[in-house]
Amino acid sequence: MTQLGISAFYHDSAACLVVDGQVIAAAEEERFTGIKHDDSFPINAIKYCLEEGRIKISDIKEVCWYEKPKKKEERAYKIFNKRFLRTLLLRLKARKRFKTENPFFLLKSIGYRGRVKFVDHHRSHTNFSYYTSPFKEAAILTVDGVGEWETVTISHAKGNNIKKLYSVNFPHSLGMLYSTITSFLGFKPNEGEYKVMGLSPYGDPSKYFGKLNKLFDISKGDLYLLQRYFTWEYSDQVMFNKRLCRLLELAPRLPEEPVTQDHMDLAAALQKIYEREFVYLVKKSKELTGTTNLCLGGGCAYNGVANALAYKYFDSVHVPFAPSDAGSAIGACLKTHTDIPPYLGPQYNDRQVYRSLQKYKRYINYYKLSPRKIIQKTAQLLSAQNIVGWVQGRMEFGARALGNRSILASPRHPMMRERLNQVIKKRESFRPFAPSVVEEKASKFFHLREPVPYMNMVVDAKSDALPSATHIDGSCRVQTVTREQNEKYYLLLQEMGRLCNIPVLLNTSFNLKDQTITLDPDQAIKRFLESKINFLVINNFLIKKKDYD
Amino acid sequence: MIKRIQKVIRKWQKEKEYQKKLAELRKRDPFNYKNF
Repeated sequence: MTQLGISAFYHDSAACLVVDGQVIAAAEEERFTGIKHDDSFPINAIKYCLEEGRIKISDIKEVCWYEKPKKKEERAYKIFNKRFLRTLLLRLKARKRFKTENPFFLLKSIGYRGRVKFVDHHRSHTNFSYYTSPFKEAAILTVDGVGEWETVTISHAKGNNIKKLYSVNFPHSLGMLYSTITSFLGFKPNEGEYKVMGLSPYGDPSKYFGKLNKLFDISKGDLYLLQRYFTWEYSDQVMFNKRLCRLLELAPRLPEEPVTQDHMDLAAALQKIYEREFVYLVKKSKELTGTTNLCLGGGCAYNGVANALAYKYFDSVHVPFAPSDAGSAIGACLKTHTDIPPYLGPQYNDRQVYRSLQKYKRYINYYKLSPRKIIQKTAQLLSAQNIVGWVQGRMEFGARALGNRSILASPRHPMMRERLNQVIKKRESFRPFAPSVVEEKASKFFHLREPVPYMNMVVDAKSDALPSATHIDGSCRVQTVTREQNEKYYLLLQEMGRLCNIPVLLNTSFNLKDQTITLDPDQAIKRFLESKINFLVINNFLIKKKDYD
Repeated sequence: MIKRIQKVIRKWQKEKEYQKKLAELRKRDPFNYKNF
């Protein structure tokens, strides 16, 4: 059966094509539009999926929608009814939005008239997390902002059967609490959460922990958040009110203002509170299911620091490559286990690369090398402290660049992190970079319980050999690489090991400030020319700027 | 007495700051969010 999975209208819109249970293609809409976390109907991603599968929209037998819009609408109006007059304008806005975001109407507009299957938001997360795991039995914990009603679910899976055992409903949401404090700290909600996570090791959690704790009323139930501090139920603007400022005795930070120690302390306290609640949920998952395996899903599963704490109760933990709403497009289609690599996006052959190179030939010199030579040459350039843009094969699906759309550098030099943060990516200096390492050598450099193929677990570094890939607290968001996962990237890491005894590379997504991850050779060359990246490698082409000495 | 007045003024100034910042944030589109 040919299925089209769609996730849209919250954040990270995406589409995927599944044929007889096998995922043929998947991509996020943002990569095509250039709008970060684009939440519009993923028309470009759908187009790509159909092209990749060489089919027409009329060949699709079933569209799987990642949530139930009717249920979400019901929730919105039920919540609005609590404050009828105050939410009058919002109600009108919501009504308009639900009308324009009608899946049937949109699908009809692209020529689809077949069956549409609506899957529960958290069930889509659960499916994606469990069916991409190696487990035959597992507990599945999903945590995010909000789906239809649910914000947290715990399920027990055995074989192909998944049974939901526990849930927490809106407005009691850990994800929304994290987003609220993210916006309080001057970062964009649903986008800047990872910045808050990166900021937290610089702060002392004790200053604000007690204050943030006052947001909960444990006597009323699990994760019961006192709504008097938040505006979630009656506004779609700033997520908090003056009472939260009073409680924290702190004014919210505007994006242009400097990050102070108070902000770092608040980030640290938030992370600690999140970890405490997350560990409580992990423990509950263990008690309810009694299994030794855990699958994590939902946007909060990007919190790699907290994820690592799950090993306290479970022997094995699986976090998929796109646990947020993007992955739900795939999750909505899955009914059984399937082996899905994260490389599901477009790829470009040498002829297409050559065409792009010709377009920019006034500004660049390029050489085509053999596959072996390109790896050797790139490793040499990296070990000489050059920064290299690396574009290979199919684009990754999910928020992480896993070695096909990456900016690479050597992690051995302590200044490399600042150089990358300030000169190349032009972003906040506190933000860490992730190291990639060949899986068989990973335990030499990091305290790992299991391989981490998708960079979603933060572990401690064993030595100070990788200063620019190690965060201030000695932690790293590591990616382990095997030959089977990504052969070319694996060989490059191995070559690095041969040259300088450390088969590790600093791997950050190929994008500049506020940009989405690079899609095609054209975009890669343009960004290469706009930035201070020293060399660019696309397929087997080595590219350098004409003015580079 | 003076200390008490200073405390009240400080509290009032803080309140004004919260109000000003919140009003500023409300104007900025990136701080809008979706929960439905």
